Amino acid sequence: MRISSIAFANLKRRKGKALFLIVGIAIGIGTAIALVTLSASITEEIGTQLDRFGANIVVVPQANSLSLDYGGVSVSSVSFDVQQLRDEDAKNVRDIPYKERLSIISPKLLGAVKIADQEVLLAGVDFKSELLLKSWWQITGEEPQGERDVLVGYEAARALSLIESTGEMATQKPMNHAQMDSTSPSLEAEPFKIIQPRLLIAGSEHRVAGVLAPTGAPDDRMVFAPLTQVQAMLKKPGELSVIEVSALCKDCPVADIVAQIAERLPQARVSAIQQSVRARTATVERLTRFATVVAALVLVIAALMIFTSMTASILERTKEIGVLRAIGFRKSHIIKSLLIEVGVISVIGGLLGWAAGMLASVIALPYFAETQIAIPIRAELLVGALGAGLLVGILSSLYPIISAARRDPAESVRAI
Amino acid sequence: MSFIVIEAVSKTYQAAAGEAAVTVLEEVSAELEASEFVCLMGPSGSGKSTLLTIVGAMNRPTTGTVSVDGIDVYALADERRADFRREYLGFVFQQHHLLPYLNALENALLPLAVSSRPTTQKRERALSVLERVGLADKAKRLPNQLSGGEQGRLAIARALVNEPPLLLADEPTGALDSKTGREVMEVFLTLNAQGQAIFMVTHNAENAALADRVIHLQDGHIVYGASV
Repeated sequence: MRISSIAFANLKRRKGKALFLIVGIAIGIGTAIALVTLSASITEEIGTQLDRFGANIVVVPQANSLSLDYGGVSVSSVSFDVQQLRDEDAKNVRDIPYKERLSIISPKLLGAVKIADQEVLLAGVDFKSELLLKSWWQITGEEPQGERDVLVGYEAARALSLIESTGEMATQKPMNHAQMDSTSPSLEAEPFKIIQPRLLIAGSEHRVAGVLAPTGAPDDRMVFAPLTQVQAMLKKPGELSVIEVSALCKDCPVADIVAQIAERLPQARVSAIQQSVRARTATVERLTRFATVVAALVLVIAALMIFTSMTASILERTKEIGVLRAIGFRKSHIIKSLLIEVGVISVIGGLLGWAAGMLASVIALPYFAETQIAIPIRAELLVGALGAGLLVGILSSLYPIISAARRDPAESVRAI
Repeated sequence: MSFIVIEAVSKTYQAAAGEAAVTVLEEVSAELEASEFVCLMGPSGSGKSTLLTIVGAMNRPTTGTVSVDGIDVYALADERRADFRREYLGFVFQQHHLLPYLNALENALLPLAVSSRPTTQKRERALSVLERVGLADKAKRLPNQLSGGEQGRLAIARALVNEPPLLLADEPTGALDSKTGREVMEVFLTLNAQGQAIFMVTHNAENAALADRVIHLQDGHIVYGASV
């Protein structure tokens, strides 16, 4: 017979009450675990989606002069003191220590050209990576396939009389080149069709594979052609104007990646697009804060329930505690015995809460997330659930336990 | 010097706001010898149970001192006084107050739960006291599976397991019929014959007559029997 034997015997005797407390703790911990797991998974999804949402790092030459502009990158026919980017630089970006974090690298050569008396910004791109990077693009026509295929921005296509309105509002949606999500920045425009599939650029004929739906970005005023073709047309073989990089920066600082690229390309200016990073961080922080507050509230409610239940249970046991004190149990012995009971209840509650929370997350996640994310079994979450269960159980029952132990034995004896 | 010395003990219970304080004991002095069987008698409200709990190191007197075996009980710190109760005193309550979820052996073992003795030694000790009160064959039974007399004997076994020099009993036969009451008294007499000091509160004159001495208490004062 030890103090723990009394605690375990008491738990066996008061199975119903113990079960009630276990369920209370399990609900509290389970809700907290579910919220934490769900918010972590949704945060991951948001992070991944935002990371995919275009480039978040831009690499440009160190010096340039102002004339035409592409998304903050200046393009000029007259440049000075410029250390040009080259094809090899795009390959060098792939060799940084954080290369695993780079999802898309899209090199571009930009230049102003005259097409049918219109000055147009011509972009040489690697269509494979460009289409991945601009997942929101909607193309009327088809994706470029051959060396002579070009994509034309909406405004440029209108200016060059390549398209004509069909007059019917959105009876036929433009083809979505990639798996689009609802956050696509595409603008509504009246439907159109390509009426001129040929385009003469710098004396050579190209096929208009597709025309972009309006994006509200400089892309609307541009013509996109294969990089090597544009390098040849602009007589800038191997040269690049800009390298756009999409880094999967969840849990990794963009600043580190920027620093690593800058180290590889000392002749280039590397900058993070802070706006997207800040937006992502703010979204994630808000979501995490909300989940934390709700989880804390649920735990406080569980703690109040345990407090009420333990106070009632201890009051009920005044005589028993009086007998134990009368036969020579110290206050510390009484506290130890009651804490063992609460500890066992809390650990079981925490364990069940963790299991219930994980199960609830798996069931609920499809209703909150659009993509399929696996919920990993995290050991630290189990440890956290047990710790939180113990903390909530012990803290909320500490006052009634200490009050009971400190009660004058004479008072308890009078109750006997 | 006597084994127990009660010296000028008074006890006043502070009443709730607006009510007068109640003095239960007033300048009570008495002595008990080791191996003596003393019964405390008196009408209801005379202060018998209060005096018993004061001697039992559970109820600090308002004034006066109690010493057991030369130890000034209320000079001890609270936790040390708990140790004193465990080492020097055995309690038998009127309603026995056995823990219903522990069997007879476990109930008898209860005061040893906080002892650092080896488990087998504790168990042997508990079985020995159960044998002493005639319950060795009912060690696995829960209190509600025992008769009233057996429950009384189990309460005595629990009080004896630590081999305390003094056994305190508060009307141990009060809730029993006369036959089982006699059964319990026989156990007390046997223990006393073996040298156990017993201080018992009783209303029953027949039981009191079996004791070595009777202290009669009335309105918080000892009427007679304060010393040998």
